[in-house]
Amino acid sequence: MNKATVVIGGGIAGITSALELANSGFRVYLIEREAAIGGQAASFCCKATEVCTKCSVCLIPRKLKEVATHPQISILTNSTVSEVSGKIGDFKVEVLRKPQYITPERCIACGMCAEVCPTEPKAILPPSPEAIPYCYVIDETRCLRLRGEKCNLCQGICPTTAIAFDLKPERQELSVGAIIVATGFEVFNAREVGSLGYGRYPNVLTGLDLERIFNREGYLKLPTNGKEPKNIAFVQCVGSRDESHGYCSQVCCKYAMRFARLIKHQNPDVQVTIFYIDLQTAGKGFAQFYQECQESIRFIRGVPVEILPTPSSKLEVRFENILAGKVERETFDLVTLSVGIAPRKDSWDLARILGINLADYGFFDTKEPFNSVETNVEGILLAGTCQGPKDIPDSIAHGMAAAERAMEVLEKCQ
Amino acid sequence: MPVKIGIFLCDCGGSLRNIDFPKIRGNLAKLEDIAFVEISHNLCLEEGEKAIASRILREKVNGVVIAACSPELCEDKFIRLLEGLGLNPNLLSLANIREQCSWAHEGDVTEKALELIRMAVNKARLLQAVERGEVPVNKEVLVVGGGFSGMKSALELSQFGIRTTIMERESTLGGKLKELEGFYGLETSPKEMFSSMTRAIEEDKNIEVLTSAEVARVQGEAGDFTVKIRKGGKESSRSFGAIIFATGYRTEILPQDFELKPGVNIISQQKLVEMLQAPERLERRPETIAFVVDFSDENSRLPTLSTLNNALAVKEKLGSEVYVFCKNLKVDSEGAEKLYREARERGVVFLKFEEKPRIHGEDSRVKVEARDVLLGEEVTLLCDLLVAEEKALPPEGTKTLSSMLNLETDTQGFYQDENVHLYPVASGRKGMFFVGACRGNLDLSRALTDISSALVSVYELLSPGGAMVEVEKVKADSQKCRTCLTCIRICPHKAIRLARVDSEKWVAKIYDLACDGCGICTAICPAKAIKFEGYSDEQILAQVEAIGE
Repeated sequence: MNKATVVIGGGIAGITSALELANSGFRVYLIEREAAIGGQAASFCCKATEVCTKCSVCLIPRKLKEVATHPQISILTNSTVSEVSGKIGDFKVEVLRKPQYITPERCIACGMCAEVCPTEPKAILPPSPEAIPYCYVIDETRCLRLRGEKCNLCQGICPTTAIAFDLKPERQELSVGAIIVATGFEVFNAREVGSLGYGRYPNVLTGLDLERIFNREGYLKLPTNGKEPKNIAFVQCVGSRDESHGYCSQVCCKYAMRFARLIKHQNPDVQVTIFYIDLQTAGKGFAQFYQECQESIRFIRGVPVEILPTPSSKLEVRFENILAGKVERETFDLVTLSVGIAPRKDSWDLARILGINLADYGFFDTKEPFNSVETNVEGILLAGTCQGPKDIPDSIAHGMAAAERAMEVLEKCQ
Repeated sequence: MPVKIGIFLCDCGGSLRNIDFPKIRGNLAKLEDIAFVEISHNLCLEEGEKAIASRILREKVNGVVIAACSPELCEDKFIRLLEGLGLNPNLLSLANIREQCSWAHEGDVTEKALELIRMAVNKARLLQAVERGEVPVNKEVLVVGGGFSGMKSALELSQFGIRTTIMERESTLGGKLKELEGFYGLETSPKEMFSSMTRAIEEDKNIEVLTSAEVARVQGEAGDFTVKIRKGGKESSRSFGAIIFATGYRTEILPQDFELKPGVNIISQQKLVEMLQAPERLERRPETIAFVVDFSDENSRLPTLSTLNNALAVKEKLGSEVYVFCKNLKVDSEGAEKLYREARERGVVFLKFEEKPRIHGEDSRVKVEARDVLLGEEVTLLCDLLVAEEKALPPEGTKTLSSMLNLETDTQGFYQDENVHLYPVASGRKGMFFVGACRGNLDLSRALTDISSALVSVYELLSPGGAMVEVEKVKADSQKCRTCLTCIRICPHKAIRLARVDSEKWVAKIYDLACDGCGICTAICPAKAIKFEGYSDEQILAQVEAIGE
């Protein structure tokens, strides 16, 4: 019997599960595909206006720090699960760790390597401020050494011998009692809806773009000329509630309204319009937030069918105004597509490795209705958006629930 | 014992070039109480930690100052290192000379770094050890509410061998579960769920059920709550280590401008369920049934789910024509969109309006009038039955209980404040948790997630080592306390109570396990009787004095 657990995925749900298990005294291996844990939500921005709008993004850094220093948690970054065998209480999990060139355990983020790097732009990049582990990353496409040239400057100056170029992928076998799958979601690829022009017209953005822009810049400007947009539209249900995504993503109405409020707060003269099918305002305290939004934001029931550029480089949105009962067109400076939560495309591979089922639309399936944690394989549990759309608080609750199930498994197998 | 401070400076691999470390070392070495000043290049790495450890053991210091990078990155590591050396971690004082000094400025910042470190030294002189200790906890749990969430919580707790008492106000368990008709498309039904859970509870030796019972009073803190239970006019006291609130929700038909006439059938969802459970008793089959949902209440996630399930059940059992009048259909719960699609396929007609439809009684039928935007004219629907719009509300007594226990509620009156920093199911009071619909519009799937989340926290609290605290980190001085009760009134965590010191005097006592370390009491105490170790006036002022010395 093994009292350790593997958590696959270091997003908000995964780190919650890992922390809860570790705090109860169980050993945890946290496996993360990327170079840093935190997942998608770690790149989101705070949406506070003069007051906090309760987007929950600020919960993540605190948890990340706890995970990073917890003695019961081993973080394996740049790693994926390649094979799983065994059964509940006694799983063998094979993990493949890609070489990272800079060892996270040795990097002290002093930045001297980037100073001496001769390429422009630099091939060694500082971690993003919220990155855990806080470790520099080498861009393989730019690094002279990795492109076959002779360059040894960073390795020479590194004071902690953290840089090594001759690393090979490592295989590691972990023995665990339970497995928590917390691989998260993929943001719906807005290019799939060609008529909305994402990827063709630079001033058509997605909700994810907005998160990154606000996180980096703090305010919105037009990608085409850097000026402030005066007239912005949000289009809801892009990649949700359609034929191939027959579910509500549960987050888009909320983030769109929060962004709309934030934009209005920064400049009350900006016009903001939200196109929707049904507004989902059932979250805690959200009904009141919606009421406040209605004072300054225009809501139109109807989803745009087409976005076209105008000669004056604006965007013409054609939509059916359901309440007015006619097809209308309006021009905007910038259009944001409120893209939804889609299952990861590689879910199928992991499902095959783990022997778990996929449900409708490609999320991982559960054993019985309402029980959103247990899969068809005993001892393999789900946490977060890999099971279906969830916002941050719901993902945290789900992560805790998966940890509880894992504890039950580990206790029983004693 | 005289103060003896060891100082470690880290130049981060030699990269903090705008700080003159030898100069700082020379300056600090002249200060009083300093045992040594050591410059290192990599305190956060294994070799750095080893160097710290050997120097501390050699010099036997009783205060440690580390000037390095952000505490966000390394504080926990150093705390653990000191603990391993048998040194109290509260004797550690950190100065951030990288992110807040070297990186933040251009040019030489030696002076600023020196000031930051001197501040840390001044603090270190006054720091006192805070011991860690375990508070004894009662291993039994009280679950308030015997509906789905309450029953399930008790059953899950029992899986961990935790003894539970379910307290239910009504004479039987089950709550709202008994009022649900079915889960469309699923094999399991609410009725089966209820009976299998009831059976399991009856057979479970870890679960005790108290029906027709209410909470009269709760005293004490996490790990040791004393609950006065009112049952049949009598009160009795019991002790519990943690309390889970699973009080559910109630529904109320929203008052609308009904012009009701006798015999007109405007009914509640519950009444419809009764009809669907015994369709053979209906005098005649209703030809047309209309539902109204989401016009008056934005928080209609649960009413929407019952509407979808019931509309499908009507189609299946009565075969009536079904119309749903709504504003926004709330489909942000698992499977809701699927139900909506299914309903449309089965011929349920959804009519969406911005404005509330007008409803009148007309002979024995109900007339629903609304303006159809597509046709641009008024439309009228005559139906045999109208299922009125319902609002999900906190159950009776929530307000009394929440104010009595200092538990926060949201703007709707449901438990739990709209504070994102309160993790799901947690309350401002340690050892008290909310699960399921009593903390908002939560569907069954979310309620189950809640129950598991609460369980982890309860398990953590009740398991060995779960109730570790820093003993008297926040402490009221019984000599200075004037028993004004200000701290007791203001503490958001109910962590302070009066304790008797002698036959005449009662003073404020802070309970370590319930205390969240927010510091409000320390700041507000008019007699300055409460000391928060690490943040006392002397410690803060000593740091300020180091600036510009």
